[in-house]
Amino acid sequence: MRAFLLACLAIVIIGAGGYFFVNSMQEPSGVAYTTTGARINTSWAWRSTGIKEPVTASEECDMRKPWGWIFVDFGKPRRESAVCRISQ
Amino acid sequence: MAMMVSTRIRLVAAAIAFLVLATVAAPVTAQQVNPTADAVKEQQLLEQFKRIQGLGTIPDIKSYTIEQPQGRQWRQYHEVYMPWIGTIAMLGMIVLLLVFFLVRGMIRIKAGRSGVNIVRFTGFERFVHWMTATCFILMALTGLNITFGKVALLPLIGPSAFSTWSLAAKYAHNFLSFPFTLGVILIFCMWLAGNIPNKVDVAWFKRGGGIVGGDEPPAYRFNGGQKIVYWVVVLTGTIVATSGYLLMFPFYGTTIVGMQLAQMVHGTIAVLFVAAMIAHAYIGTIGMEGAFEAMGEGTVDLNWAKQHHSLWLEEEQARVGPAGLERQPSATPAE
Repeated sequence: MRAFLLACLAIVIIGAGGYFFVNSMQEPSGVAYTTTGARINTSWAWRSTGIKEPVTASEECDMRKPWGWIFVDFGKPRRESAVCRISQ
Repeated sequence: MAMMVSTRIRLVAAAIAFLVLATVAAPVTAQQVNPTADAVKEQQLLEQFKRIQGLGTIPDIKSYTIEQPQGRQWRQYHEVYMPWIGTIAMLGMIVLLLVFFLVRGMIRIKAGRSGVNIVRFTGFERFVHWMTATCFILMALTGLNITFGKVALLPLIGPSAFSTWSLAAKYAHNFLSFPFTLGVILIFCMWLAGNIPNKVDVAWFKRGGGIVGGDEPPAYRFNGGQKIVYWVVVLTGTIVATSGYLLMFPFYGTTIVGMQLAQMVHGTIAVLFVAAMIAHAYIGTIGMEGAFEAMGEGTVDLNWAKQHHSLWLEEEQARVGPAGLERQPSATPAE
């Protein structure tokens, strides 16, 4: 019985290790089965095409609400960095 | 006059031959399609060449394959043939064992229990066995869900519950593969020395292995039947693990065709593996008195060892002596 319980414990530990290992190797299927040429970049905007400043993922940007998109070209959100502006 | 008749006969024969040729050749001519013609239809090209070729501009060349003809054969296999192979193998084995049990019954310890137990498997051996066996049972259930779930489970529990269960089963199947593979590797290394086939096994098979008939042929630590189980576990375990990892990591050294082949091999070998392990589980539990104790507690009765593994018992007695060999169940040091 003790051998069986230890085996179950080992299964959980090795299985959890496998989870982290696989997650570090695999990509979501939507990414794995397409390439950058076929993916939609949600941060892309016409305005960003003329700006050379690179967008860094480290900065957190405010997510616009759906109605905000109507005025996206007219307003300047408060406390938002330039990086966030070019990404939308 | 005779010349004229002969000439006419030749003309009629030539005319018939021409008509026959024209009849045979006509459908062939009608089927031919000019692939470069402007008005050619895709359906005609598909029927003619079984493929349409063109140019792609997306960097991912895998996306160029819009329709893969081999996929139809693969689908036919895993939707039709695979369930049949699995059903026949597993149900066939269960029916066979049921008939065998009804005819033969449980194989008893002929001399009865001696009351003295001896160590059969160490704690580490049992740990490895149960780790592999537990993973195997869970992976068999979650794997069979892929083949039989839609038919057997979906109508019972509904689409929502089936979807949730299948998702969890898929993850469990993937992550349990790691301890299972480790278990198969350890089993291979741990018991290899005792599972090399020899002449004793041939004699054991010739005498029915103590299962068919009342004879009790001698055997070392593992008899001929157990050696078959060992090699089935090692070889089929290696095949299902290898083919499974090819499926877990798509396009790592394989193509779509390679993965389809891996899936067919994985599924087929796995159901045969399950059928073989059903037989193993039978003989280790209800099929033979005292057999489960070997893996359950690590010890077996002395008379059980004399009956089924007499040569192993002699070896053990020669190695450690009768005093060192015999242990009571409550004092099993195996763990």
